[in-house]
Amino acid sequence: MSELTAVGKPIQRVDAEEKITGQAVYGYDLVLPDMLYGKTLFSPKAHARIKRINTEKAKAYPGVVAVVTAEDAPWTHGETVKDKPFLAQGKVRCIGEPVAAVAAEDEDTAEAAVKLIEVEYEDLPVYTDPEEACKPGCVEIHEDFGKYRKADFIVKGAAPNVAEHFKLRTGDVDIGFKQSDVIVEERYFVPIIQHAAMEPHSAHAQFDKESGRLTIWVANDAPFRALHEITEALGMPKEKIRFINPLQGGGFGSKGGLKVEPIAVALAFHTNGRPVRVKFNREETFISTLTRHEAVVYSKTGVKKDGTLMARAMTIYWGAGAYAEKSPTVCIRGSLPAPGPYRIPHVKVDGYAVYTNKPVAGSYRGYGIPQGAWAGEQQMDEIAKRLGMDPIAIRMKNMFVEGDISYWGEQLHAVGLKETLVKATEAIDWGKPTKTAKPGVKIGKGFACIQKPTRSPTTSAAGVLVNAKGEVTVLAGTVEIGQGCNTILSQVAAEELKVPLERVHMHQLDTDVIPFDASTTSSRSTYHMGNAVRRASIHAREQIMEAAGPMLEAKVQDLGYADGKVFLKDQPQQALPIGEVVRRKLGIHGKVRGDGSYTYEIGKDLDLETGHSDHASAFYMYATQAAEVEVDEESGRVRVLRMSAAHDVGKAINPLNCVAQIEGGVVMGIGSALHEELVIDNTGKVRNPSFLDYHLVTSLDTPELIPIVVECPEPEGPYGAKGLGEPGLAPTPAAIGNAVTDAVGVRVYDLPLKPENVYWAIRKKKKDAA
Amino acid sequence: MKMNIQFSLNGKSISRDVPTHRLLLDLLRDEIGVTGTKEGCGTGDCGACTVFLNGKPVNSCLVLSGELDGAEIVTIEGLKIGPELHPIQKTFLQDGGAQCGYCTPGMLMMSKALLDENPNPSEEEIRFALAGNLCRCTGYAKIVQAVQDAAALLRNR
Repeated sequence: MSELTAVGKPIQRVDAEEKITGQAVYGYDLVLPDMLYGKTLFSPKAHARIKRINTEKAKAYPGVVAVVTAEDAPWTHGETVKDKPFLAQGKVRCIGEPVAAVAAEDEDTAEAAVKLIEVEYEDLPVYTDPEEACKPGCVEIHEDFGKYRKADFIVKGAAPNVAEHFKLRTGDVDIGFKQSDVIVEERYFVPIIQHAAMEPHSAHAQFDKESGRLTIWVANDAPFRALHEITEALGMPKEKIRFINPLQGGGFGSKGGLKVEPIAVALAFHTNGRPVRVKFNREETFISTLTRHEAVVYSKTGVKKDGTLMARAMTIYWGAGAYAEKSPTVCIRGSLPAPGPYRIPHVKVDGYAVYTNKPVAGSYRGYGIPQGAWAGEQQMDEIAKRLGMDPIAIRMKNMFVEGDISYWGEQLHAVGLKETLVKATEAIDWGKPTKTAKPGVKIGKGFACIQKPTRSPTTSAAGVLVNAKGEVTVLAGTVEIGQGCNTILSQVAAEELKVPLERVHMHQLDTDVIPFDASTTSSRSTYHMGNAVRRASIHAREQIMEAAGPMLEAKVQDLGYADGKVFLKDQPQQALPIGEVVRRKLGIHGKVRGDGSYTYEIGKDLDLETGHSDHASAFYMYATQAAEVEVDEESGRVRVLRMSAAHDVGKAINPLNCVAQIEGGVVMGIGSALHEELVIDNTGKVRNPSFLDYHLVTSLDTPELIPIVVECPEPEGPYGAKGLGEPGLAPTPAAIGNAVTDAVGVRVYDLPLKPENVYWAIRKKKKDAA
Repeated sequence: MKMNIQFSLNGKSISRDVPTHRLLLDLLRDEIGVTGTKEGCGTGDCGACTVFLNGKPVNSCLVLSGELDGAEIVTIEGLKIGPELHPIQKTFLQDGGAQCGYCTPGMLMMSKALLDENPNPSEEEIRFALAGNLCRCTGYAKIVQAVQDAAALLRNR
């Protein structure tokens, strides 16, 4: 391969300038001509039948243009289970479920009118605990589940409220435990947290009666999924619906799927063609968008005296909240690798996605891996302790290496795990004495390893235009949510067309003109869209070279390509810039278009009885993070002193961006480890829906960060790249948990590691000792 | 109740009839159409809407329009020095201080406020000054770096 000119370089972000000058227009900023203002009425009840809705007063309020309820929008949607109404139909299933909406001439009017809508409810039993909600005798939150349209792979559980039951069966765990010398069994808990992207949620919609076209402006990170779901729900042809993506102020998984969009669409059909904007404020964003799955994880591990893992059995209850959204796939893809990146002959996993009367859980950076790792990686340390083994040694003995067959039956390649473990632990001086702490304060170290699959199989397609000035425009459906995809994809196009990065421009995301992309999720974009843009760029280059042949009076095989020019191999001074070739071929307004797409061809689908697949993921990401913490024994307060994070990215297309992703991920992980928790009482009410009460990490709470990029190339990836966005926070809580145990000798099984949880664990140990 | 207010926005004088309860944030974004100032929470907890009001940084979601008569307001759109980026903007670019960019305008305004007062802040002082500005993307490391580098640029001018 010729030397790389753009890929692998620590290039500064291509989208930063508009962001630092305030010129960038986000979804929440968008003001459309003649726009109406929407306001939503949310359910105050966690589970209730709707007996009556009266909208008369709201409709009569001066300045109100439309009031809508389920009667006006009798549609449902959902990614794998079509269970979610645009507006509540007949019953509500969580506090914060949209029930009705108003469009008015201004915000104040909309707000006043929405308060005039009267709804009468009849209470139903409220379930706020996923383990309780699937006990025999519980009322079904979705009594019509059997009638919903759903994906083929959904396996409804036998127990009440189980939307998906995932099974993994390898070997025979009973035999494995019999052959084990030591068995450890515990229950772990991970609470609900929220993405809390800095930009709250909003959507704009406009329906033009004459053309029958519906346009939706929304910062959604999977516009083609949204297009498909809206199309399917409304029964409208795809060509009649258009999604336009303004810039997105963070997402972390919260901005896929439909939340505000259906409300805006429902209103848009009743505004005589005027566009309507529906914004959720921060509190509404907390209660009515998406959350991360709470999880109860029972884990049992058997091991030989020499540290060889023999068996692992896990039962995981994933709290889905009121609607299925991504729960079936989080349950599958989070439960599958939950036993950890190790060779284990006997494995049994049961994952249950359980409906509750809480806000809807959806995709969240890490997609189920943090929950499994919180249990599995702490249990690895427990086993090591029982055996008197070093935590590194036990992992080294069992961890996946190149060529291993995983417990789900897939041969693994490009496994950079060992290097991440060595580098992350070295970076915090593992095994060396820690500095002495103040009296009453204990210092400890810990680490955790993860392996993360990506959503498979999926497709990304891209177009690359080269104009007569030699400027390049990339048409890609990957959404710039802050992760830096516009920079990465520009680098790929610049690399293949050998043009300076300044000459590459990313087209705005508009489903009318941009080729299909599955989603900006699952750390899939660099690999899938990277491959698609690379292929499209090569396709454009080939067309330019072909066109240049007659111009240079040469055959294509006698032409070379470098520095944005086509030249004669034996007379390199005879060269034509690519823009010149386009101009001569197609005129000054001409454009050469290259197209490319990439689909990861999955092997056999996951077997529904065993969970086995010979190819469950296009690639796997590996990481180890290591923490040094101090714990105040008096108060239970945990402070992270330093944190290393070594991530196998395959190939760093932009090392600067890799470091940025790792740092951001780790800090998000620290928040989820130490203090983040969406507190929901037993009536289903969120008690802390504000940044005052929901504690995000601030600039004062972050420790010394040591990001480490490991490159174990993935042969199918563009230039060897894998993905990186999600794993950044996945091992973090388990690494900190292990460090806390190292410091104070007690284990805390429930996240977050807030002072009271740690305090009571220390107290209990002292009591037991006495 | 509406009242007429006259104020200066990024050096330009503006006269408006506005409801007195209209928040400065909404006045800027929805009525004047200057959307560089971001809304993150609307309750003064995240700092995304930080602007300068009479030379002091404030959360514009906590200021009522009725208070603005005669005021001098500077937003992110007024941070440049003529056609030149302000040093804090330059270092945010160079150090990767912005990812999704939504907290960035507020972060920049608060950083400028710090540097106006303290041209040589320690890391701790920077972290303290920015503690009311939430960022969910960066983990703050690159932001703190950018403020340190901007301080050096300003000192060497």
